[in-house]
Amino acid sequence: MSSTTTDIPAPAKTETQEDVLKPQKSNLGLLRPDHKKNFIVDLLTTVDHKKIGIMYGLIAMFFLVVGGIEALIIRAQLAVPENDLISAQRYNQLFTMHGTTMIFLAVMPLNAAFFNFLVPLQIGARDVAFPRINSFSLWTFVAGALVLNFSWLVQAFYELGWFVASDTSVAAGKTDFVPAIGWFGYAPQTSTQFTGIGTDFWIFGLQILGISSLSASMNFVSTIINMRAPGMKMMRLPVFTWMTLIVSLLIIFAFPAITIALGQLMFDRMFGTSFFNVADGGQPILWQHLFWIFGHPEVYILVLPAMGIVSEVLPTFSKKPLFGYSIVVFSGAVIGFLGFAVWSHHMFTTGLGKVATAAFSLLTMAIAVPTGVKIFNWIGTIWGGRVRFAAPMIFSVGFIWMFMMGGFSGIMHSAAPADSQQQDSYFVIAHFHYVAIGGILLASVSAIYFWLPKMIGKMWTGRLNIWVAIITTVGLNVTFFPMHFLGLIGMPRRTHTYLSGFGWETYNMICTIGAFILAFGILLFIVDIVLCVTKGKPAGDDPWDARTLEWATSSPPKFYNFARTPVVAARDALWEHKHGPENRKITYVEEDSHGIHMPSQSWMPLFAALGFIPLGIGAALMQAGVPFMGYITILGIVIIALGVALWALEGPGGYHFHPEEEAT
Amino acid sequence: MSETLSTPSTATDHSDEGQKYHAFINLAMILAAITGIELVLVYLPLNDVLILTVLIVLSLFKFIGVIAWFMHLVYDKLLMTLAFGTGLVIATGTVIALMFIMDQRFVDFEAITAF
Amino acid sequence: MSAEAQNHDSHHGMMIDNKKLFMWLFLGSDCMFFGTMISTHLIYRKLYPDSFDPTTLFSLELTSFSTFILLMSSFLMALAVSAMHKGDMKGFRRNTIGVIFFGLIFLGCQVYEFTEFAHKDLTLSSGTFGSTFYMLTGTHGVHVAIGVFWLTCMYFYSFTGKMDPHESAVDVEVAGLYWHFVDIVWIIIFTAIYLIEFV
Repeated sequence: MSSTTTDIPAPAKTETQEDVLKPQKSNLGLLRPDHKKNFIVDLLTTVDHKKIGIMYGLIAMFFLVVGGIEALIIRAQLAVPENDLISAQRYNQLFTMHGTTMIFLAVMPLNAAFFNFLVPLQIGARDVAFPRINSFSLWTFVAGALVLNFSWLVQAFYELGWFVASDTSVAAGKTDFVPAIGWFGYAPQTSTQFTGIGTDFWIFGLQILGISSLSASMNFVSTIINMRAPGMKMMRLPVFTWMTLIVSLLIIFAFPAITIALGQLMFDRMFGTSFFNVADGGQPILWQHLFWIFGHPEVYILVLPAMGIVSEVLPTFSKKPLFGYSIVVFSGAVIGFLGFAVWSHHMFTTGLGKVATAAFSLLTMAIAVPTGVKIFNWIGTIWGGRVRFAAPMIFSVGFIWMFMMGGFSGIMHSAAPADSQQQDSYFVIAHFHYVAIGGILLASVSAIYFWLPKMIGKMWTGRLNIWVAIITTVGLNVTFFPMHFLGLIGMPRRTHTYLSGFGWETYNMICTIGAFILAFGILLFIVDIVLCVTKGKPAGDDPWDARTLEWATSSPPKFYNFARTPVVAARDALWEHKHGPENRKITYVEEDSHGIHMPSQSWMPLFAALGFIPLGIGAALMQAGVPFMGYITILGIVIIALGVALWALEGPGGYHFHPEEEAT
Repeated sequence: MSETLSTPSTATDHSDEGQKYHAFINLAMILAAITGIELVLVYLPLNDVLILTVLIVLSLFKFIGVIAWFMHLVYDKLLMTLAFGTGLVIATGTVIALMFIMDQRFVDFEAITAF
Repeated sequence: MSAEAQNHDSHHGMMIDNKKLFMWLFLGSDCMFFGTMISTHLIYRKLYPDSFDPTTLFSLELTSFSTFILLMSSFLMALAVSAMHKGDMKGFRRNTIGVIFFGLIFLGCQVYEFTEFAHKDLTLSSGTFGSTFYMLTGTHGVHVAIGVFWLTCMYFYSFTGKMDPHESAVDVEVAGLYWHFVDIVWIIIFTAIYLIEFV
């Protein structure tokens, strides 16, 4: 276990840093890609949690825009009755990909970006517990995103007449090559009778994304449990780190359910099993159960990081400690745990039986309690504080209000009789978009305003952020508030078009206008980011007078995070250090003679993760009868196995670095 | 410093490897015996509910035996038990809930798949 | 295969080995994984009690034998881990080869069982019983096969001289945890899928 610290002789102090930092050979005899000047090679092989976090963030922003454009096309189609801007098939594909993209390719990686960048800094660690697994998670996510969106390319080829499914394949005669089954892919619509290889792309894309999330989560739990700096007790952890821990545990315990469900569906489509095949006794209802056993915790996987972000921002800009820290943490844990016991509230109208309906209804109402506790704690934090309305604060305050609106309609759903009226109507759309945009997106924007100066070392310029706040909030309310009414007067969700005369026209037009306002707000936000990156002045270590450990190091942080490991003496470590009594100041561990031990970069995680691309695309195209695709699939498996084997054999490597010349 | 801090659990183990060996060999014999009992039990002309209960208890015993001793949980930090236990509890709860919720006594499946 | 975890100073935390914690989390996750499959099997079995009579197909003698084999392999695995902790490389190799051998016997039994069942017209596509049975036991079989492969790699790696007993004890222990888990899953499967049919 001590290999790395004994293998590599500690460099003599007389040597210069440049002499020491030569790339070394791995156990395979290959040169490790450390200290490369080439920017691309560095990004591809990096194990630095900060670079990985930023890459997650950039990709998430890209897919946020993609999912947003999909939403705008949907809204444009619904603007007027009997519109034929897009076909019904394209409409189905767009709402499916909009949901899937936003959940798995935008919000989850955006959260992952913050987990990656912030958690090691907040706990005073050099990096995550398994840096190479971290890199693997990132590239596996990229592979999954590519597999899922490759379907658009196949569809385009079909429209251009370059591609058709062969006559003998399961997709014979079908023209949908993009998933068109809704983001929860209810059986039996996913069976080969009804949908083409779009469903296969969806299965494999989600499966790969699940592997990425699972490996990342196990990594984060290990990191938070094991890598904390001295003195950083569990109850001193920043709330964002706590929420990361809870979300990671949720992912670890919830994702296997969908892995199996997707596996069963894959078997149904590829090998003719009868898990969800009604003709052979399969029960489509089972899919709903398995999906929501994953799907409901997934909702908390999306929203708990937002709660963590707000719990960091509000104390900073109120100059007060978080009101009821332990209750906030405990409520988060309760929400997470109860999240496993409420899945059937998505299925009240399927006929669960009286007992189950009552039980799930009751448990769902119970979840409102810890959530309400959190809201009161946030308000208690602002109460009597010296509030500064800087950009992050504006969005966090917006979060509280907008998220509460989504919460209220959520409580309405928990009553089964009311829910049976609202099920599958636009009321539900209004509910979860208030949670997703009013809650998660506003919190994420708040987080970007808060932490981007730390990530890139530049401060925001101008007051464009006010306009971003006003326009996004107005846009989101104009878009989604009328949907409550639309739902209650009977407009079903996932409807391609509608006839005039139901009283839906005005509301739909307002929603569409609101969607474009919201999109304009997001565009302004991106402009603001670009302005910050290009014209920002140096931010300094602690531009917001913040409270947690990440602000104690330079902006952007050096690749080794802290020149010397901090010793934490209190919760809100930096705040106590700046304003607290003498005995609560941050001290630093004496550096030992061989310097900081840094992990080596590696090609192998990338290599292994890229194997998922031929695996997913090959298997999906095989369903359309494309020749040789079986071999491509097997090639993918071989690449993954080879990558993992070489990864194991190359050894972890690592090198020592002396930051004292640069340390302040 | 890392190695001294991260290995105490394994470093202190060495003295009682001998003791463990006896625990392992006893457990292995018990496990084999239980499997034999189970095999005989299912053919005995006893009350079904009784047999089922005994079967479940016996397999739980085997289950716990393996995770506690072979997988070192009794020798290791409590946190490992918690990490695994959470998963086990959630999984068991989900299985039981699913078994009830997908039961014909409560749900009219023919009505669901009728159309 | 050596300790990536200790790479960079893991100072404080709970003093648990990172790799062991990672594996335990994975196993917790795997509980849910198998739990979902087992419940699928039992749900369909309960819904359609008369659609299929497995007692005509299952051979309890064979399955009990393979259960016994897997339990004993678990015992040997525990000894291998123990040997590694003591720095007894020979003992480690002897026990590991035993585990691999028993694992292969188990897989052989399963292949034999599957072909036998397939001859008697139980296939993946012959109704819900075939689907759930083959997927559950097949996934377990894949777990065993991965374990055999992993341990075989470790066995041969131990001859390269790069495996230091002190450093690699954790790696062996982690592989051992995986192997024992595969064993406990089989304990559940043996009762819930095989034995229960004969009551």
